[in-house]
Amino acid sequence: MIAKIANWFDERVGWKVIWEAIFLRKIPKVNWFYTLGSATLFTAVNQAVTGILLTIYYVPTPDHAYDSVQYITTQIPMGWLIRGLHHWGASAMVVLTVLHMLRVILLGAYKYPREVTWFTGVFLLLVVIGFGFTGYLLPWDQKAYWGSTVGTQIAGAAPVIGDWILRVMRGGPDLSAVTLARFFGVHIWVLPASLILLVAIHMYLIIKIGISAVPKKEELA
Amino acid sequence: MNEKEKKAYLEQYKKDKEKGVPFFPDILFKDAIVSLIIFLGLIAVAYFIGAPLEERANPSDTTYTPKPEWYFLFIFQLLKYFPGELEVVAVVVIPTLAIILLFLLPFLDLSAKRHFWNRPWITVLVVSSVAGVLFLTVQSIRETPPPVEIAQGDPIATLYVENCASCHGGTINVPEGTNLHDVIAQGNHEGMPAWSADITSDDIDALAGFILSPGGNALFNELCRTCHEPSELVASDPIELKAALDEGRAYAPHAEVTIPDWNEVITPQKRTALLNFLIAPDGQRLFATNCAQCHGRSISFAGNRDELRDLISQGGLHLEMPPWRETLDNNQISTLAEYVTNPTATGNGSELFAQYCASCHGERIPTMDDYAAALEIIATGGAHQTMPVWGEVLTSEQLDALVNFTMDAARGAPLELGQGLFAENCAICHGDFGEGGPNPTRPDDVIAPISTSEYLKTRDDHTLFQIIAQGQPNFGMSPFGSAFGGPLDDDQVNTLVVFIRSWEANPPVELPPEVDARSVKLSADEVYTQLCAQCHGTDGLGLIGPSLRDPDFRAANTPQDIFETISRGHEATPMIRWGDLLGEDTIQDLTDFILGLEISDAGVQPQATPGFSSFAEDVMPIFEAKCAPCHGSMGGWDSESYEAVMTTGRNAPTVIPSDIENSILAQKITGTQTAGKIMPPGGKMTNNEIQIVLDWIVAGAPDN
Repeated sequence: MIAKIANWFDERVGWKVIWEAIFLRKIPKVNWFYTLGSATLFTAVNQAVTGILLTIYYVPTPDHAYDSVQYITTQIPMGWLIRGLHHWGASAMVVLTVLHMLRVILLGAYKYPREVTWFTGVFLLLVVIGFGFTGYLLPWDQKAYWGSTVGTQIAGAAPVIGDWILRVMRGGPDLSAVTLARFFGVHIWVLPASLILLVAIHMYLIIKIGISAVPKKEELA
Repeated sequence: MNEKEKKAYLEQYKKDKEKGVPFFPDILFKDAIVSLIIFLGLIAVAYFIGAPLEERANPSDTTYTPKPEWYFLFIFQLLKYFPGELEVVAVVVIPTLAIILLFLLPFLDLSAKRHFWNRPWITVLVVSSVAGVLFLTVQSIRETPPPVEIAQGDPIATLYVENCASCHGGTINVPEGTNLHDVIAQGNHEGMPAWSADITSDDIDALAGFILSPGGNALFNELCRTCHEPSELVASDPIELKAALDEGRAYAPHAEVTIPDWNEVITPQKRTALLNFLIAPDGQRLFATNCAQCHGRSISFAGNRDELRDLISQGGLHLEMPPWRETLDNNQISTLAEYVTNPTATGNGSELFAQYCASCHGERIPTMDDYAAALEIIATGGAHQTMPVWGEVLTSEQLDALVNFTMDAARGAPLELGQGLFAENCAICHGDFGEGGPNPTRPDDVIAPISTSEYLKTRDDHTLFQIIAQGQPNFGMSPFGSAFGGPLDDDQVNTLVVFIRSWEANPPVELPPEVDARSVKLSADEVYTQLCAQCHGTDGLGLIGPSLRDPDFRAANTPQDIFETISRGHEATPMIRWGDLLGEDTIQDLTDFILGLEISDAGVQPQATPGFSSFAEDVMPIFEAKCAPCHGSMGGWDSESYEAVMTTGRNAPTVIPSDIENSILAQKITGTQTAGKIMPPGGKMTNNEIQIVLDWIVAGAPDN
């Protein structure tokens, strides 16, 4: 019965080809370090799900941001868990991204024919850093406010265009409601969109080219 | 990697792959295990540690030690090793190089070898970078001092933090000329509430000082706070404050306390900051607390900004009071002196005050504590109250603010603005003078006048604001407030309210209630007596308006002209669009009535003007009582004799015989002038007095 349904759909959707290409493809023998990439993707999904749940109550204005975060943490059932997962998930994502990158570097996985996969990976690293930077301000507590003040100041120290960068980041000379609004917008719209696009290319290339094999110490020169 | 190597790699990879396992379930299983462990780990930290949340952001708390997210700490730490000019190395050069290096990695490392043992340079670089980042991060955590407790007990800073900082951040740039006290109290821009409901006026003053003079608050805490609360001293008398700072221990109220000699303790800059904090450089507030006592609300000034600044800075003898002993008897003078020392005590002091003093002093009684001194001052007159030398008292910022405010206020901008807005938005239905008229949206409905004192006395500013902003849908008035889809923002609606409110003091036209509606049918001569006679005189010989019996007038105007002038009004004169108010029949009757008036080239007959018969007996006493106290020998228009009245004045002649419209005197006392304030400054003369003076001018300003 199940097979019949599966066939009915396959005739129309052609899922079996996709299934075979993605799930039944052969993978060279790899070790546990090769799970870092998928673990990073898992944290990204975790951030997306918890992040979407947080936006239901979070209010990105200086008047209400702090209160709404406090409300999420203390009043909403499981709110503490959602926020806790998002908060720690962010750190985990940064750590896993970097570890994944170190694995790729140390095992030479960025080499032919996976250079483009590597480029998208570097972009993804920048996106993750962007997530961390913009998300830090959103709770609008002391740590957030002053951390972002200094963070934007540091970016503003660049020669020639530093002041311009600072103003663009803050939406004015000072950290204000505008800054919060644009950090929020970047955090929930711009960066996720970039992330999805880059992850899609990254994944496509991994599936198409195949994950790199573990190099042997005795390589052919 | 050359082609051979590439091919070799692909072949080797193909073999490895064939020896390998399928992604599902083998690899996916491993991935799932790792992801699950990570997920459980995240839940554990979320449960046992939780997501931290510190105190609410406090932009004015500069003692807080900023720390970025832990994974940025290494950059933060790196900055410490590149101080000053070199900062750019840590901020821009190193991170940019790192990112470029990452991108170029596949092109820099072109060998076919992949294992880290076989690529020592890359491996050393990566391991040392990781070690470096870890070292910097650990260093940063070790060096970051524990967060300092928030400085407690600064009430004004706390107020600022609690109420302003969340939107405005740590500092606010206030544009020059802002009436900060009003802005805070009334919340005049988008999203800013009116704080006057929550914060006392004193605290608002202190906040204004805090915002405009950032260092002043700290100085106050350091120097004065031991004995004084901010609310005690803010917006107090600047002369007292100056004395207290100048005289140190010698200052009487400070005699009992041990205080340092302030001049030795604080630099002039600090002193300025302190004074700017206590008395915010906020022109309107400065005027209200320091100038209004003598100047009332009459703040017209014809000169330029610099002249005004000099005048205020130099202070001095600018107001001469007449020696009242020449005019009043001893009894009256002592009554007045008693009255100013104790306004509640004596009976007819207030009448005397109203009669002799109010024209300059307005309604504000110049209180004095010492009866003898008051007696002496009133009796001798002269420069009894010199304006303080404000230049020595106020700080430069305060002076600027005061000058700016006075200049702006003198320009009378708000009222003119309101008039313009009214003409643009309201006059089409309510008439130029708020007299109302037929309702264009509802047939057979009449819009009642809104400029009558009855209407205005029964509606407060808030109600007027609401009506304008929200409209009156039931009566066909659309909303004008932008919040309700109208064209005007809150400021503009407020300006309109102020303009409409100004009618309460100066009604544009008093309409008898019975002509409110067209339905009331009156005979032409009744209408003439009630409406037209106000300006054209009961006999039609003209008052403010021209004589209707003048042969030239008749020659220049056909009956049709007269009809149209009545129904359309006359721009630039107080003649309103009576067609909005009176039916065509009535206007036709009125036209016939006017044409029926006997032509008379006698101009205006003096005998036709009730109340006036002699300059010396009728007009001069009014001048003496209402004008001479200021308009004497001090320069400008002199009201003390007939010759002087007719010849002096900056824009002499002040009186043009028979021409009310162009006589400055008439304009000034009726309030129709285009520059400056109505005279006398203490308040309009009585209608009777005005009529006498006008009649005298109409009669050719004779000296009899």
